[in-house]
Amino acid sequence: MILPFYLADYWIYALTLTFYYVIMAVTWNLLGGYTGQFSLSHHTFAMIGSYTSVLLIIKTGIPLWMSMASSWIFTAFISLLLGILCLRMRGIYLALTTWAFAEIVKTYIRMDFEFTGGDRGLNAPLFFKTMNPIPYYYLFLAFAILTIIVIAIIMRSRIGYYLRTIRNDEVAAQAMGVNTVRWKVFAFMVASVFASVAGTLYGHFTGLISPVSGDFYEMSLIIIFVVIGGMRSQAGPVVGTISVRFLAEVLKKWPEIRMIILALVVILIMRFFNGGVMEFLRQGVQRIRQRKGRNPVSGLQKMEPRQR
Amino acid sequence: MQFLISGIIMGVLYCLMSLGVNFIYGIMKVINWAIGEFFMIGAYVQYLLIVTVLGPRYWYIGVFIVAFCTFFLGAFVQKILIKPMFVGMVEEKTEYATIVTIAMAILFRNLAIFIGGPYIYTPPDYAPPTRIGPLPLSGNNFIAFIGTIAILALFFYFLKRTWIGKAFQAVSQNRSGVLTAGIDVLKFDMIAFGIGTALAGAGGALLAPVILVYPLCGVIPTVRGFEIIVIGGLGSIPGVLVAGLSIGIAESLGAAFINPSFVDIYGFGLLMLILLIKPYGLFGKPERSV
Repeated sequence: MILPFYLADYWIYALTLTFYYVIMAVTWNLLGGYTGQFSLSHHTFAMIGSYTSVLLIIKTGIPLWMSMASSWIFTAFISLLLGILCLRMRGIYLALTTWAFAEIVKTYIRMDFEFTGGDRGLNAPLFFKTMNPIPYYYLFLAFAILTIIVIAIIMRSRIGYYLRTIRNDEVAAQAMGVNTVRWKVFAFMVASVFASVAGTLYGHFTGLISPVSGDFYEMSLIIIFVVIGGMRSQAGPVVGTISVRFLAEVLKKWPEIRMIILALVVILIMRFFNGGVMEFLRQGVQRIRQRKGRNPVSGLQKMEPRQR
Repeated sequence: MQFLISGIIMGVLYCLMSLGVNFIYGIMKVINWAIGEFFMIGAYVQYLLIVTVLGPRYWYIGVFIVAFCTFFLGAFVQKILIKPMFVGMVEEKTEYATIVTIAMAILFRNLAIFIGGPYIYTPPDYAPPTRIGPLPLSGNNFIAFIGTIAILALFFYFLKRTWIGKAFQAVSQNRSGVLTAGIDVLKFDMIAFGIGTALAGAGGALLAPVILVYPLCGVIPTVRGFEIIVIGGLGSIPGVLVAGLSIGIAESLGAAFINPSFVDIYGFGLLMLILLIKPYGLFGKPERSV
């Protein structure tokens, strides 16, 4: 909380960016982790949000908060449309369609340069009318905490159990009377709107939006954060984002090697150790407890055959 | 009429791409997200072969070598990374395969930048410009068209007439049923993955002078490939042909009559329309659950 007063501007900037990715990773975890619906256009919804907001301000001149709110509503509408169309079937259709959707939106924004500025991007008005990163730091921190709390509330409520059931066994969920399509669309909409919130904040923080934010690189970063941190855990995406972002800043000079290492880590985690950092920590804590003999129950568990 | 012809030519080229993905999906029920990267690897290898050893006149030998290489690369990757998704030969973990192949795509892209740099390489032309009837056509497009048709014909002959092809059809219908008939499903998975990546690699080699060779050259064909799969229906081979042709025609008609700079959007519009009318694609069936 008081960190910004001790750090150089660059690191405050990097931390602010990290909070942006925390919002994206946590909401993608709701969709890809808990619900099991792979949306590959999470970054695109952030881009749609920022572009809608900036274009509204440029073309109509409405105040900033109004354009941000209307861009969130617009994203909700688009995600509702996409969700209704492709979530009626199995999850793989959503992945295929959103992947195509992401590339198409990016190409459209690059091509229609008279309207969207093309590859050059657009100048976005700043949120606090200043380039000083400290107020943005607190803004992003607040929104990141808000997002984490909202997702935690959703996952503890009845809806959270619906979503987990859908991932585990969709047919069983239907048989138990869960309207699977409705809740899948709900999760998709929530995640997309949060992505759009993060995207608009990001656009009004950097002051420049460009089609680069719609690159598949961004999506792969989000997946890397979530998988390394640990899918299907509340703290996993946060831990993953912060640690991987730190590593990325350290290896900043070699961007290709950085991505090669991260991709290898993801493959290794998926292959040998499904669960990421959080699962690793949990097992470590359990082992220490067992060694101290503080928890007699875990001694009993040791006798039972290991579940596969 | 000439829009129709150029649409058909582009459509056939797109078919090759999505056929690889769809064949793998049919057998293993896995989407290979790294297929565009195999396409890219094929294009790079072909460029290297043509520039150093073969020369542009023997491009067809290059295509065979590339298909061979990508087949083994794909089979190797499947054996090491994708196979563990099958617990007890039949049960599958789709999520695992999705994340692993996406990570693989990132890995290959950055390896390509790391090794070859972010430059665009232009291979020499395969053939001089020709014309079909009234339509002037670049020799590269023509050769890619002919080559794709040849590969498709070969693939269909393999699938419909040979014993192994029939075994593949059986595997795609019922994995556990085929196990009782004495077919080693896991081995067939590996070969199927290899064939799918070999199709993509051969496509990359054929299209190298059209699309040019750079680290992201597989992305646009892959987008088309996935659109085709959803339109045609997951796992349906005839669906691929129909959907590929219709996307090619829709794009060239849209470019001719509406606006040529938004070519990429027409295919997606078609996809949305199909999803609205027939959610499982033109030839797809609702999958059996349980």
